[in-house]
Amino acid sequence: MIKILVNRTQPSKAEIAKRQDFNYILSALPKKNLLYSPWFYGAIGFSSLAGLFLFLLAY
Amino acid sequence: MTPNLSNFQFSSKPEDDMILIERAKQNPAHFAPLYKKYHDAIFRYVFKRVDEEEAAYDITSCVFVKAIINLPKYEYRGVPFSSWLFRIAKSELYQSFRDKKAKRTISIDSVQIGRVMEEFSIDENEHKREILLKVLPLLKDKQLQLIEMRFFEKRSFREMGEILELTENNAKVKTFRALIKLKALYAQHNPLK
Repeated sequence: MIKILVNRTQPSKAEIAKRQDFNYILSALPKKNLLYSPWFYGAIGFSSLAGLFLFLLAY
Repeated sequence: MTPNLSNFQFSSKPEDDMILIERAKQNPAHFAPLYKKYHDAIFRYVFKRVDEEEAAYDITSCVFVKAIINLPKYEYRGVPFSSWLFRIAKSELYQSFRDKKAKRTISIDSVQIGRVMEEFSIDENEHKREILLKVLPLLKDKQLQLIEMRFFEKRSFREMGEILELTENNAKVKTFRALIKLKALYAQHNPLK
């Protein structure tokens, strides 16, 4: 059932502004998964190649 | 890092919003000026439709989180950024009604009731006002949204169309139909016809 509120007191502009919290908004954003980042695969690829190169160099 | 907003000048031009939107697409921290600019309007939109103030603050936060997540998909196609945010707010509101986190509410003041009665060409008195408040929830939700936006929030048909994803003309026609429906319900419930 829909509720009807007549002549309801609204919070003031200052009260609403006081409740702004942009840091909370940023913290609520889903964290990027490292596995989906190209940087992750870049780093893995680079270290694999470097490892292979060092291995070949050693023998 | 969150940009310093103390010297930021807000403008209502869509082009200025676009600059901020493009910056925020690169880095969510740059969304701060848009958050500051539209927080009050979105909160008031939500507050009028829910019964608890705290729920309104929570839903408003969810709106901005969703806005940042979906910002890369936003493209300016004649619909102002504010209307895009109101669309997200509308969908977040209905999600919270479905999840029973908030109760659908109509916040109305005496002046707004008078405006609707004026539209019906009926003299305002306590009894007639009570009937109108009794029949308002009997409208379908889509019709109620139109009445709310037009008569309680004084929005233009263009803005209503942008928020409800209708053309301006369609918003006008549907509001007119909603008003006819409300008038019929009022007549049905008024014993002193």
